[in-house]
Amino acid sequence: MTLFAQYVTTGIVTGCFLILATIGFSLTRRVEGFLNIAHAELLSVSAFTTWGLNAGAGWPLLPAALVGIIVTAVVGLLIGRIVYDPIRGHGPAVLLITSVGAAYVIHGAMDAIIGTGIRTLDIPLATTYKFHGVRITDYQMIVVGLAAVATLSLALFLTKTKIGLAIRAMSANPSLAASRGIDVKQTSRATWLLSSGLAGLAGVMLAMVATLSTDIAFNQILQILAVAILAGLGSLYSVIAAGLIVGIAMDVSVYWIPAGYRPLIAFAVVIIALLVRPEGLSGKKAR
Amino acid sequence: MSQILLSILTFGCLFSVLTLSLNLQYARGGMINFGIVAYFAAGAYAYAIFTQEPPKGLDQYLFGFGAPWWVGFLAAAVASMLFAIITGWPTLRLRGEYLALTTFAFAEMLHSVLLNERRIGNGSVGLSNIERPEIGWMGIPEGYVYAGAAIILMLGTALVFRRLLASPYGRAVDAVRDDETAAQAIGKDVARLRFQVFVISAVPIGLAGALYAMITTLVSPDLFTAEVTFFVWMALVLGGERTILGVVLGTLALVGFQEIVRAIPYESVRTAQLAKSVEVMLTGVIFILVLRWQPFEALGRRSKKA
Repeated sequence: MTLFAQYVTTGIVTGCFLILATIGFSLTRRVEGFLNIAHAELLSVSAFTTWGLNAGAGWPLLPAALVGIIVTAVVGLLIGRIVYDPIRGHGPAVLLITSVGAAYVIHGAMDAIIGTGIRTLDIPLATTYKFHGVRITDYQMIVVGLAAVATLSLALFLTKTKIGLAIRAMSANPSLAASRGIDVKQTSRATWLLSSGLAGLAGVMLAMVATLSTDIAFNQILQILAVAILAGLGSLYSVIAAGLIVGIAMDVSVYWIPAGYRPLIAFAVVIIALLVRPEGLSGKKAR
Repeated sequence: MSQILLSILTFGCLFSVLTLSLNLQYARGGMINFGIVAYFAAGAYAYAIFTQEPPKGLDQYLFGFGAPWWVGFLAAAVASMLFAIITGWPTLRLRGEYLALTTFAFAEMLHSVLLNERRIGNGSVGLSNIERPEIGWMGIPEGYVYAGAAIILMLGTALVFRRLLASPYGRAVDAVRDDETAAQAIGKDVARLRFQVFVISAVPIGLAGALYAMITTLVSPDLFTAEVTFFVWMALVLGGERTILGVVLGTLALVGFQEIVRAIPYESVRTAQLAKSVEVMLTGVIFILVLRWQPFEALGRRSKKA
């Protein structure tokens, strides 16, 4: 039973990470109207910027992570402006395929700069705490804490500030938002900064709890897609539920079947979800 | 040099089969299949499993029928078709992005099973020394024979698809893509047509998989990743969807680009690795640029529709 509780706990940590990784993706989906496959590459941009400053240049983790997140937000904004803006009229399928191209470019660039091999941050080893036989490390607790804080502040931002409200208006009905005097360009830029910044935060967390190689992004995009589809490609709050479901399902599955099947579980959940409820957890039609 | 040309021709034609099938699904059927590699892998594995010797020694796979190569080809076509039926049946009522993601998910699941389930094809190790037919045929070197086989497979696929789409059936398919409601209103069974197109187009992909296994004499999960899917999509976009000639030229161009980059000799591991990264980057850049301006598509549309 303790072992089972242990898997559930790990699953919650995985879920919290997935929530952060997916929220930006879902935000882009809603406001820009397409699935940005390159989103996961932004995680590795952030993770490796942090790694370069921390392990390479010897900075402490906190400023390194902050710079990493800012760099990622700017990179995301630039890609949005240069790559996606000119072809916005071509429809979601073309944008989706283009984002695969963008992912290739980022991936190639990271590979060229960083090279192959496995890296870790230069931070103290994790301390393990035990609660009733269930172990959790301090870094894992940071992940859960940050996910909670980030989601909460994002919710506040989207409901209380002017830009946040504009973003929500854009996501609900772009043409209506534009005709009601919302600055579409500015809102779109704010969305890129915000969603890429969130990818940056998720990347930093990934760097903290996992070892890094330039391939990480691809594994992440699979899980991000799984969570996003389950959530219904739309609502922010359903991302939280979906992230936790996928995270827990993946980690708890290890209790019964070999760990190699973890990614398969994520997709099995997705396929079942799509067949039973094509509109996702949120219950809203995304198209 | 002639070696490079030969492999461009062989693999170019081989992957053209995939691009042609994708073209049928996407440009004619309106279905975004992001899991095309799965049907390719199904064909390759079916061929390998049916033709290899029964397991011995360190082998962990369960089945090996030692059948002749043509049985393997048949098995490949059937396996790919079956996989298309299994995956198409529940998913084809989904549209657009949802279909793209579900097919992608199915492909990843198949990959995951092939990687983890040692009883199918030795897991991550894969199957090597795959059966090749005796082809010391009239003294022609094998490379040429395989290039010929790839060309024949490609031409065959192109001809069959062309025939199919020029027929009233093809116009019904077009009608479904252009306006589902209208097609339904004049009595076309939309769901059935979509399903048929999906399954029919999986068959050549399976055959291409079998030929691929035969040429490389190796199947392993590493060869069948989502990269193949993306590659085929790029070729389709590069060639401009809807024209058969464009699709084939696009694939040949992309394969040619990769083969030439790979043929450049490097002095150290680091430079080779750097070149590989640059190749990936360049592929991405070409992709983005082509999608933005779609030069070949305009060209193809002007000349003629296939």
